[in-house]
Amino acid sequence: MSTFCGAADHAVSRRAFLGAAAAGAAVAADMTGLDILGSPALAGELKKGQKRVILLWLAGGASQLETWDPKPGASTGGPFAAIPTDVPGLHISELMPEMAKRMKTTCVIRGLNTKNGDHGAAAKIMMRGRRDEAGLRYPDLGAVVAREMGRADSPVPDYVTFYTQTEGRGMAPGDAGFLGARYAPMELTTSPTPENIRRPAGLSDDDHLARADLRDLLGKDFARGRSSDALASQGEAYGRVRGLMASDSLFDISKEPQKVRDRYGPTQFGRQCLQARRLVEAGVPFVRVARAWWDSHGQNFETHQEMVPDLDRVMAALIDDLGDRGLRDDVLVLTLAEFGRTPAINASLGRDHFASAWSMTMTGCGAKGGAVYGKTDAKGNTVTHEEVNAANLFATIYAALGINPHKNYYVGSRPVPLVDPGAEPVAAVLS
Amino acid sequence: MPLRPALAAVLLAVGATAAPAEQPVEQVIDREIDAALAAAAVEPAPPADDAALVRRLTLDLVGRIPTLPEVERYVGSSDPGKRAELVDRLMAAPGYARHQATQFEALLNPDGRRGGGVRDYLVGAVADNRGWDRVFRDLLLPDHADPPVKGAADFLRPRLADPDKLTTDVSVAFFGVNVSCAQCHDHPHVKDWTQAHFYGLKAFLSRTYEAGGAVAERGAGVVKYKPTKGPERTARMMFLAGGPLDDPSARELTKDEEKAEKAAAEEAKKTKTAPPRPAVSARAKLVEVALRDGNADFLARAIVNRLWHQFFGLGLVTPLDQMHAENPPSHPELLTWLAKDVAAHGYDLKRLVRGIVLSKAYSRASRYATEAAPDPKLFAVARLKPLTPMQLATSLKVAGTDPAEWEKGKGDFEKRVEQAEGAARGFAALLAQPADNFQVGVGEALLFSNGERVTKEFLTDGGGSLVARAAAKDPAEAVGLLVRVAYGRPPTADETRALAEYVAKRSDRKVEAYRQVLWALVTGPEFRFTH
Repeated sequence: MSTFCGAADHAVSRRAFLGAAAAGAAVAADMTGLDILGSPALAGELKKGQKRVILLWLAGGASQLETWDPKPGASTGGPFAAIPTDVPGLHISELMPEMAKRMKTTCVIRGLNTKNGDHGAAAKIMMRGRRDEAGLRYPDLGAVVAREMGRADSPVPDYVTFYTQTEGRGMAPGDAGFLGARYAPMELTTSPTPENIRRPAGLSDDDHLARADLRDLLGKDFARGRSSDALASQGEAYGRVRGLMASDSLFDISKEPQKVRDRYGPTQFGRQCLQARRLVEAGVPFVRVARAWWDSHGQNFETHQEMVPDLDRVMAALIDDLGDRGLRDDVLVLTLAEFGRTPAINASLGRDHFASAWSMTMTGCGAKGGAVYGKTDAKGNTVTHEEVNAANLFATIYAALGINPHKNYYVGSRPVPLVDPGAEPVAAVLS
Repeated sequence: MPLRPALAAVLLAVGATAAPAEQPVEQVIDREIDAALAAAAVEPAPPADDAALVRRLTLDLVGRIPTLPEVERYVGSSDPGKRAELVDRLMAAPGYARHQATQFEALLNPDGRRGGGVRDYLVGAVADNRGWDRVFRDLLLPDHADPPVKGAADFLRPRLADPDKLTTDVSVAFFGVNVSCAQCHDHPHVKDWTQAHFYGLKAFLSRTYEAGGAVAERGAGVVKYKPTKGPERTARMMFLAGGPLDDPSARELTKDEEKAEKAAAEEAKKTKTAPPRPAVSARAKLVEVALRDGNADFLARAIVNRLWHQFFGLGLVTPLDQMHAENPPSHPELLTWLAKDVAAHGYDLKRLVRGIVLSKAYSRASRYATEAAPDPKLFAVARLKPLTPMQLATSLKVAGTDPAEWEKGKGDFEKRVEQAEGAARGFAALLAQPADNFQVGVGEALLFSNGERVTKEFLTDGGGSLVARAAAKDPAEAVGLLVRVAYGRPPTADETRALAEYVAKRSDRKVEAYRQVLWALVTGPEFRFTH
C-alpha cells in the first residue's frame, strides 16, 4: 500500500542488522572493570569507520566577528585585529592564535542565514536543522547520530550532553523527539558523571551482578512464545547497564596523563572536552559540550576577550589530540550556536542576537580542512555569496558523516526526511 | 460458554431502553474477529488463565496490578459470573475514573505537557460517564462559569498562541486525522485532504484567543493561506467531510468592533470572568458541524479506535491519527458497527469498554505456541503492552506492600489505593509515556538498577512492607509470597529453587536478599508489560 512504505519494515531490518552486530562483537555480559579504552578488539572495531561527533555548543550565541569572520577596520569591527592563518588568505580574530595555526584542519562556513533570533526557537532550529512543526517533534542531531551510529548492545552511551551553566540550559535541551526515550541523551549538568551510573550505596558489586542475573533468569521463561520489539528493547536496555556503569571511568579524566590534561588546560570547558574525547574514543557516537553564556548584549568585547581564548586553546587541543590518536577522519568536531551576533554595536558596547550572517566550523571526518564557504559584506550585515541555511548545514553535516540526508524516518505512515526536502549538502566543504 | 446467562442478565439491565434486536458489544466483537481469523485460517491463542486475566483487567481498568487478596479471590472463585462481576466492580471504582482520565489526558496532550485543570475535569467526566460528545463539547466550548467544566478550558488555553498546532491537535485528538501534512501542500497520498481542509478547520479555531486567563473568541476573522500554486486564498470554514460553509463572518473586524472587543476583554480581566461568547462563534459552529449526522462518524470512529488501541495495544486503524480512506481498518465492519453503537448510546464509553473487556478476543493468552506469531492485526494472541508511567509506578507501590495491609480496616481499600497512586506520581514523572513502537531506553534501566528512589520509595523494608513480611517467613514460603505478590501467580519449581538458593546464599543479610529478589521480579518483563 502506497501510504505504508513500512515503518515496521525499517524497524525490522534495523533490528536484524543490530542483532548481527551484537552476535559478532560477542560483548561479555559484564563490562565492569573492563578498560574499554585499553581494549584493542573494541578499538579495532571502531577504527573501521564508525563516525562520531563532538559538538561545541556556544550557548547564547558567540560573535562571528570576534571569532571566524572578523571585520577589522569596519565601523562594526570592534577593537580586535584579524590575524593570518596557516591557510593562505584566511584571517580569523586575533583572539584565536592557536586555531590560526590549525585552520588547515578546519573549514569555516561564513554565510549562515538561519533567520531566527530568539534563543529558544533558534536553539531548537540549530539543534535539529529545522523548525519544529505542529504535531511533530523532530529529533535533534545527537539523537539522529545516536540512532544511525549507535549499536543496540553498545557498552557506552549513545548520546551524551554536558551543559553545566544554568543560562540557556532549559532552552537547548537534548531531545530525541519522535525517536523516543531510546535515543534520549544522557545529560550532565552539575555533576561530572551521569545520573544513576554508579552502584547504589549499600549494594555490593557481587549482589548488583547477581541480582541482574536473577532478573534475566526470571525474564527468560516469560519471553518464550512472546515476540515484541518493546520486550526486546527492555532486555537490551538492562543488558547495557553494566557496560554503561563501566563507562563511568570514561568520565574520569584523572586517568589521562598529566601532559594531556595540561594540553586541555584548567577550565571546565577544557575538562569537559577532554571527557568528550575519551567518550568518542570509546565509541560514543555523539557528545555535545555546551559552553555558556555568550549572550553579550552588553560589554561584548570583554566577554569575548575572556571566552574566545578558552575556546581557541581547548578547540586546538582537541583537534591535536584527535589527530595524535588517528581519529581525525572519524570524529567530526563542530562549533555551532543558536545564532551569531549583530555587527552593529549597541549603546552598552554589546552585540545583539543575529541570525542573518554568521559562522560555524567543521573539523575532521569528511569536512574539507582549510575551506572557507560563504562571504559576508564589508560590515558583516548580509551574506553576499554562498548563503547556507539550517537545512543545508544539516545536510552537509549528515553527508560528512556518511549519512544520506534524504533518508526517511517514518512517523506512523508519514515519511519524514532527515532534512527538509530540497536541501542539499554543500559539496565544496566536503572532502 | 458458561458466562452467558449472567452476562445476558446484566446486559438486559443495561440495554433496557435500547432496541430489542441489539446485540451485546462483546458478541459482535468476537463474531467479526473470529470471522477474520477463520478467513486467514489462523488458530487463536487459548484463553488467558484466571491469574493472567485478573491482572490484565485490573491494570487496564484501574491502572495497577491487583493486590494478592484480589487475585486470590478471583482465582479461587467458582462463580461463573465472576469475570463480569470483576469488570463491573473495577469500572465502578474511583480508580477507574482516575486511570481513564490519565489515559484521556495522554490522548489530549501526547507531548506530555501538563494539562492544568484538564485532568480534574476528565476525572469528573469519566466518573459521571459523560458521553464523549459532551466531553468534546466541554473541551472545545469550555464554560468558565460551570465549576465541573471549568478545568476543560485548559485544553484550549495553552494552545491559543499557535492556531496551526491547535488545529492539528484538535483534529488528531477528536477526529483521528492528522491534517498537518496539508498545511503546506495538499496531502500527497490522501486525495480527500487538501490545504482547504487544513485551513478550513483552522478557520473554526483561529478566532479564539486568551483574555485575562479565559478562553475568548472574536465574532469575525479571516484565515489566509498560500497554496503551492497561484495567489493567496481566503479559507472558508470547512469540516473534514462536506464542503465549505457559508460564513458571512469571514471578514476582518471593524475598528468599532475591535474597540468593543478590547473593552470586553479588559472588563473580563477586571471581573475575572470570561468575555461573552460572540453572536457567531466559529468554535461553536465546529462543534455543531462535527456532531451532525454523517460528520459525527469522525468523532465516533476515532474514540472507538483509541479505546480499542488502549485495550488491545493496537488500533483497528493504525496509526491512530491516519484514519482515512487510503488506510483502511483491519476490521472495517467491526469499526463501523462499534462507532454506530457508541453513537446510538449517547457516546457511552463505559458500554464500549465493558464490551471490549468481556470479549473473548480481549481475553486470549499473550503467548503463542508456534515460533512465528500470527499477524498482529488478526488479534489472535494478546499483545504485550508496556505499562504507562502511572501504571508502572502504582504497581511498584502495590508490589512493595505487605498484602495483609490491604485487608486492614474495612472500607479503607480505595483510600489506600489512592494514596499509593499519589505516592507513585513523582516517580512516574521520571518514566517515558509509551507511544507506538515504544522502546525502553537505557535511562530507565539505569534508574531502576542504580537509582536510590526505587529502593527508598518502593522496595522498603519497614512495617507494612512486603520485604519485611517475607523476611519473617521461611525462605521457600517467602520467595513464593514475593512471586505471588509481584506476578499474581505461584512460582514455578525452578523459580522457587533459584530464588530460595539466592536468599540462602545471603543468610547474613536476609532483608537485603529479599529486597534484591523483589527487585529482580519487578524489573523483569513480566512486570513491565501488561500481558
